[in-house]
Amino acid sequence: MTTKRQFSRRSVLLGVAGAAIASPFVRVKPARADKGEIVVATWGGTRTTAMRKVMFDPFERETGIRVRADGPPEAAKVKAMVDTGNVTWDMLDTDIPAILSMVNAKLLEPIDYSKIDQNKLDRIPKVLHHPYGLGHLIYGFNIVYNTKSFAPGKQPKMWAEVWDKNIKGARSFPFSGGLSPQLEFALIADGVSPDKVYPLDVERAWKSMDRLRPLVTKWYANHAEAIQLLSTGEIDVCCTIGSRGIAAKSSGAPVEVEYNQGKLAPDNWAIIKGSKNLDAVYQYINFVIDGKLQAELAKLIPYGPSSQDAFKYLSPEEAKDLSTAPDNLAKQFWNDTAWWGAVAADSRTNTQIQAERYAKWMVQHG
Amino acid sequence: MSEVALLLQSRSAVRAWRARPRVMIAGVLGFYALVYCLPMLVLLSWAFRGGGGVWTLANLTHLLSDETYSVVFVTTFRMAAVTTMVCTIIGYPYAYLLATAGPKARTLLAAAVMIPFWTSVLARSLAWVILLGRRGVMNDWLVSMGLIDQPIQMLFNGIGVQIGMVHVLLPFMVLPVWSILARLDVGLPMAARSLGATPLKAFLHVTLPLSMPGVTAGATLVFMLAVGFYITPALLGGPGDITIATLIDTVIRDLLDWPFGATISLTLVAIVGAIFALGATIAGGGRIAGLENHG
Repeated sequence: MTTKRQFSRRSVLLGVAGAAIASPFVRVKPARADKGEIVVATWGGTRTTAMRKVMFDPFERETGIRVRADGPPEAAKVKAMVDTGNVTWDMLDTDIPAILSMVNAKLLEPIDYSKIDQNKLDRIPKVLHHPYGLGHLIYGFNIVYNTKSFAPGKQPKMWAEVWDKNIKGARSFPFSGGLSPQLEFALIADGVSPDKVYPLDVERAWKSMDRLRPLVTKWYANHAEAIQLLSTGEIDVCCTIGSRGIAAKSSGAPVEVEYNQGKLAPDNWAIIKGSKNLDAVYQYINFVIDGKLQAELAKLIPYGPSSQDAFKYLSPEEAKDLSTAPDNLAKQFWNDTAWWGAVAADSRTNTQIQAERYAKWMVQHG
Repeated sequence: MSEVALLLQSRSAVRAWRARPRVMIAGVLGFYALVYCLPMLVLLSWAFRGGGGVWTLANLTHLLSDETYSVVFVTTFRMAAVTTMVCTIIGYPYAYLLATAGPKARTLLAAAVMIPFWTSVLARSLAWVILLGRRGVMNDWLVSMGLIDQPIQMLFNGIGVQIGMVHVLLPFMVLPVWSILARLDVGLPMAARSLGATPLKAFLHVTLPLSMPGVTAGATLVFMLAVGFYITPALLGGPGDITIATLIDTVIRDLLDWPFGATISLTLVAIVGAIFALGATIAGGGRIAGLENHG
């Protein structure tokens, strides 16, 4: 009954499995940034499509400089590029934790604010002028809940209620995937006022996290997963990015966002060390931080524009679900990038130290 | 005309290659040296060279002294062991059916193993979220049957992870065992029967021992793959189901501590290598690598 077929079938399978394992390491020819072109690393999907329409194409038409989109803008990818001297990106569109790790690893170019259009810059809150990143799309970490899980008005409206075991409901919080532990919310739930939360009392925060832990059904690894679980009713309330909740809501999911006590954080324009197109990069930044242009982008993807000018071009209805709309802004507080970026012990930032502690906390209670 | 000449030339070149197996093997080895050994050496130097190029054991000491990592290693290996056991218990009878069924049934049974095998691990893991969720198909069914009052928590804990992992890895057990059983001389168990053995005895004393190399090969494959699992535990697991691959991902991508990430990865490679060596000693290494002898 010996057959060669079965032997070869299995070797082919093993080969396929091997190829599948190896595929993340196979490099496709990288997009090369030449003169007259900049490469912007962003997150893909609807975000890149919207940026292409509102930012990249108009910029190309006005300046003749081509914009190529690539991504995702992961810190590990940037490290590989800078370490091997093969830098193919000029700019990143990314969040503060990633920027802080990259600054610590010396992968970014500081932003020369003298080259930024002062009139446009003045309309962007000072808190967003980070030395290595200029905030452009603002999102908040909010209480996002399934509207079918709670009687109207009975949903958690503050972090203390999310932490309250008497309020029934499956919770979900972020873990891993570049997501820092939500120590601010742990402190607020424990009675600290949001405007007095920094500098973080880390030990008190972790004690509060211990109380949250048994209430959490799923520690999710990325925001899309959280929204998916929330939309299907697998969980009732989660701590995730409000803008993503709004996107789910507008596509018909029974999801709503509570802005009270939300933590605001920016996605930023950052420049990669070794970019050979700095002039074009600054032209690009000055083009895209314009309020009117940001308003156009906000109509396509529900992230808050950083320029307050944008709200001149948005109707109250269009502004209502944006995290930086004046009403929502008043209910939330800004993530303190200085605290998270501060270098504490053995040349590591608070972000890195707390991320590692988060992993240990998760494992050792398991 | 020149094309014909080229073709002839290439044909003779092929013949010349065939005549020199050593050259071909050298080519393959060279390729592996380049795409496998070289990156491994880079990992080694990351793991054991500190700032200024001084050799150091600091990363390894960090790994060994921190209880977190040993907990995660134990979790990972426990999960892999359970997966291997369950895969063997389900996979062996399935492979036996495959080997003994008629052609039509065999096609159907083989398709049932192979078609999920070609589907993305991500999609299959997400499908379990729909099936096992608290408002999922399973719980709905159990509640409507009156078997339970409250939905059972089957997701985001060890049960969910084990179900998902067994589902993904089952083909790696079924296929090697099937290939051995299909090649088994049917005369042997029949001879045992004719000498008075019951069907069970014939199976236990003849078929099972002869098929053990397939089981060892399958178990080794399943175990090695399970140890490196990432997506399924992350999607279906809870905080107690963090695997070593998840931790490596955090260290490499979030903490950007590549030397330490390399140390954890190499430790995993070393342990898996030791398991492979053990499996190879028992089953014969070629069988696991898919190069078994025919005869």
